[in-house]
Amino acid sequence: MGALKSVFRLLGAPFRLINSVMGRFLNTPFRQATAVFLFACGLIEVGIPFIPPLFGMPSAPVPNTVVLEYLVIALVGILLWVSDNEERWSEFKQPIHDVLVRPDRRIARGALFVIVPALVAAQTYFSAQPDISAPPSFRAIHPAPPSAITFQGEQMVLDGLENPLRSTGLLEEHYEEGKRVYYQNCLACHGDGLQGRGHYAQIFNPQPINFQDVGTIAMLTESFVFWRIAKGGPGLPNEGTPWNSAMPAWEDFLTADEIWSVIIFLYEQTGHDPRTWEVEGEEH
Amino acid sequence: MPVLQNVSPNGLSKKLRSSPQCVVLVALLLGVSLLAVPGDVIAQVDGQVVYNQWCAGCHGEDGAGAGPAANTMLPRPRDFTLALYQVRTTSSGELPTDADMLKVINEGMPGTAMPGWEGVLTEAERLALVDYLKTFSRFFQGDPPTPLDFGRATSGGADAIARGEEVYQMVECWRCHGEQGRGDGESAPTLNDDTGFPIFAADLTENWRFNGGGEVGEIYRVLRTGLDGTPMPTFSDIVDAGVITDEDLWSLAHYVRSLSPEDEPEVREVVTAKLLTDTPLPQTVADVVWEGTERFYVPLSGQIVVQPRWFNPRVDAVWVQAVHDGRELALLVSWGDPSESPDTLWTDFGGQVVTTMGSEDEGAATGSGTADQLVVQFPQELYEGQERPYFLQGDTRRPAYTWTWQSDIAGAFESIARGMGTAARQPDSEQHVRATAQHADGEWKVLFVRPLDTEGAEDLALTAGQAVPMAFQAWDGDNGESGSQGAVSTWYFLVLGQPTPVAVYVAPPVALALTLLFGLLVVRQAQMGSGMWREPDAAARAKRAAKRRQLAGMAVGVIWLGMAFGSYQNSRAGWEAGYADLGFWWAIIGGLLAIAGLGALIGTWIHTRTSK
Repeated sequence: MGALKSVFRLLGAPFRLINSVMGRFLNTPFRQATAVFLFACGLIEVGIPFIPPLFGMPSAPVPNTVVLEYLVIALVGILLWVSDNEERWSEFKQPIHDVLVRPDRRIARGALFVIVPALVAAQTYFSAQPDISAPPSFRAIHPAPPSAITFQGEQMVLDGLENPLRSTGLLEEHYEEGKRVYYQNCLACHGDGLQGRGHYAQIFNPQPINFQDVGTIAMLTESFVFWRIAKGGPGLPNEGTPWNSAMPAWEDFLTADEIWSVIIFLYEQTGHDPRTWEVEGEEH
Repeated sequence: MPVLQNVSPNGLSKKLRSSPQCVVLVALLLGVSLLAVPGDVIAQVDGQVVYNQWCAGCHGEDGAGAGPAANTMLPRPRDFTLALYQVRTTSSGELPTDADMLKVINEGMPGTAMPGWEGVLTEAERLALVDYLKTFSRFFQGDPPTPLDFGRATSGGADAIARGEEVYQMVECWRCHGEQGRGDGESAPTLNDDTGFPIFAADLTENWRFNGGGEVGEIYRVLRTGLDGTPMPTFSDIVDAGVITDEDLWSLAHYVRSLSPEDEPEVREVVTAKLLTDTPLPQTVADVVWEGTERFYVPLSGQIVVQPRWFNPRVDAVWVQAVHDGRELALLVSWGDPSESPDTLWTDFGGQVVTTMGSEDEGAATGSGTADQLVVQFPQELYEGQERPYFLQGDTRRPAYTWTWQSDIAGAFESIARGMGTAARQPDSEQHVRATAQHADGEWKVLFVRPLDTEGAEDLALTAGQAVPMAFQAWDGDNGESGSQGAVSTWYFLVLGQPTPVAVYVAPPVALALTLLFGLLVVRQAQMGSGMWREPDAAARAKRAAKRRQLAGMAVGVIWLGMAFGSYQNSRAGWEAGYADLGFWWAIIGGLLAIAGLGALIGTWIHTRTSK
C-alpha cells in the first residue's frame, strides 16, 4: 500500500508545483488575467498553424487580422470574468490604481511614462515609412465559363457537353493517348505527380494548378476543363487575370480528341471523378 | 483475413470472451499482430504497376529513358538498362546501393525534370520501384555493392576554402567548370554524356541545382564517386595515388560550396530601386555602387506557351539590381552564360542541342549561333486596376514596351510589342535607353540607363513610389535559342524608392507628446480622485510657471535653430543645383532664423538668471 501511496504522491507532484506557483504568483485577479491573456497570445500566435496538420491539411500562416480578432475575443472574455462581481473587479483594479497613485510606486509610474510613449512613437515611425509592396491582386480561381466557345474556328456548345471519348473506344486507350499528350506538353509545369510542381512550376505566378487537390478538377465538369485547356490563360475573362497566366491556349497545339483524352488521363491518374451535369442540375 | 485468424481467441474462456476486458484484449492483440505483419504483405505493391503509371512517361515502359516526354528534356531521363547511376555512395563504375536509388526517388534530381516522389507515392511504392528498376539490367543480379567509407567531414572556414581553391586549380576543375565555376571552361563546349547527348558543365554558383545535392557532404560524395554516365570523373583515384589527400578533397568541397550563396535565393515579387542622394548614378557594370545594392533573383523557364516552344533554356535565372537618382533609372541585369554568342567554339554544341531537342513545332530553330539577347519588358502604360499586357510581350489590346539588348549590337533599343516576336523598334528620335554590357568568366552583366520620364508618348514614365510591372526574357544564341525559343519570366514589380516623407520625422514626436499628455491627465485624474492630489501653494505655482517659461523659451530657440539648419541645407542644394537665387534667399532666411533662435536661447538664459 505504501508503494501505491508514493506513486500517487509522485503523480501529484506536477500539480502541487503548479498549485504552489499559482498560489505564490497568480494570487490576484490582475495577475491571473495577465497570465491568461499572455497564454492566449502565445496559443493564438504560435498554436493555430499546428491545427490543420492534425486533420491532414497543409498548414498556412495565420493572417494578422484573424490573430487580432481572436485576441480581442480573449480580452473581452477576460474582462467579463474580472468584472462579473464587484469585489473581484475592485481587486483587479487595485494594482493599476496603485501604480497611478501611490508615492512608493513612483518608479513604476515613471517607467510607464517612458515605455508607453516610446512604443507608440516607434509604432508611428514604422507605419509612417513608405510602403514598398506589390499592388494587391485578386483572382477568380474558377471564373464562370461561357456557354459556348469557338474551338479551332468551329462553334462548340459547352452547356451539357460530355466527354465524347467516354462513349466511344476503350477507356484504356484514351488514357494511354492522354498520358502521351500530358507528358509531351503539360509535364514541365503540372509535373509528374500532377500536383502543379513540374520543373518549371516555381517560375510562374500564379503557380500551375494542382490536379490532385480536391478543389480543382474534382469539382469541375469535363467541359469546363476542356474550355480551360483549349483557351488557356489568354482566354480567361478579366477577373481571371489573363495577363498573368502562363497556361497556353492548347487549341493552337492539340486536336479536340487529344484534349478530351488528356482530360480522361487527368481524372484516371488522380482518381478523381468529374462533376457531372445531372448532379449539378439536382443541386439547383 | 490472416490478421484476424491470428487473434482468434480459442484459448480464452467464454466468460472472458463476452466481457469488456475481452474487447480490450482483442484490440491489443490486433494491434500487436498489425505491427508484426510480415514484410511480404507490404511488398505486394507491384513495382511494375507503379512504374508504368508514374515513371514510364519519361523513362519509357522498357526503362530505356525514351518515354513520350524524353525529348522535351535535357539532360534526358535515365536509361535504366545501362545501370549507370550518377548518385551513388559506391566507387565509380559500380552499381548504386538500394538506399542510393531510394534517395533519388525520394528527393529527385535538382536542376533536372526529375521530381522527388516522397509526398506522392507511399514508402512501399517507392521501395517496390527500387526493386523494379533493378530488373531492367542483369548487372543487378550479382552481389550487392558495398558503399565507400567517406570518413568524417572536415570543418570549413577560410583556410579550408583557400586550400580548396588551390586544389580546384591543381586538379583542373576549371577545364570544364571555368575559373569562377560558371560552367564556362575551355572543354565545356565539347562535353557529351555516355549516351551521346550534349551535357553542360554544372554552374557551381547555383548549388541548389546540383545533381546529387548542393551541401558540402554531397559535393564531397560526388567528388569521390564521380557522376557515372557523365564526364564528371571520380577523384578517389588521385587520393589513393597520394596526389592529394582526402582532406584536400573535403577542402575542395568546401570551396565549391562557397561559390554559391548561403541559402537558395528567394523569389520576391517586388524589385526595389534605391534612391541615390549623394552618389552619382552608376554608368558602368563595374561601379562600386552595385556591390552595396540588393540583388533580386528572377528565375526563368523555357518559353513553352506559344509556337515554336523551347524546353531547354540555358539561362535559368537573372539577377536584377536597380538604383535611381530622381532623374534616371539604372538597371543592372546579370546572368550565367558560358559564351559570348555567337562563339564558333560553341556552334557545334548548340547544333547538337537543337538536334537533340528535335522540336516538331512550326518555325523551330534548326541550328545555333545567333546572338545572346535580353529583353526587359514593361507595360506601355499603366492601366486601371490590375490590368497588364500579356506576360509574353503584350497583346493587341495592351502593348508591351521593351528594352532589347543583343550581344552583336552595341547599346540597346526600345520597342513596342503586341505579342511574342512582334516587337517593333521605335524611331531613332524616340530612343532613350542606353546600355553597356560586359561578359567575363561565364557571366553577362548588362546595364540599362533611362530617364525616368522620357516625355515620349509611347514610353512608360516611371514615378517614384509607383509599382511598375516588369518581366525578363533571355536567349543564349550558342544554345540554339532565338525568336520565341528562349527563357521567360512572368510579371514582377519595379518600385522606385522615394525620399523619406516628412511624416516619418513629424508623426512620431507628435504621437509621443500626445501619449505623454494623455498619461499625465490619467494620473492626475486618478490622484485627484483618491485625494492624493495636493493643490500647490502660490510659491510653488510661481516656481512652476517660471520653469514652464524657461522650457518654452528653450524649445522655441531649438526649433528656430532647427529651421535655420533646414534653410541652410535648402540653400546649399540650391547653390549646387545652379539656382543661385534660391540659394541666396534660403541663406538669408536661414541667417535670420539662426539669429532669432540664438536670441531666444540667450534671452531665456539671461531671464532665468536675473529672475533668480
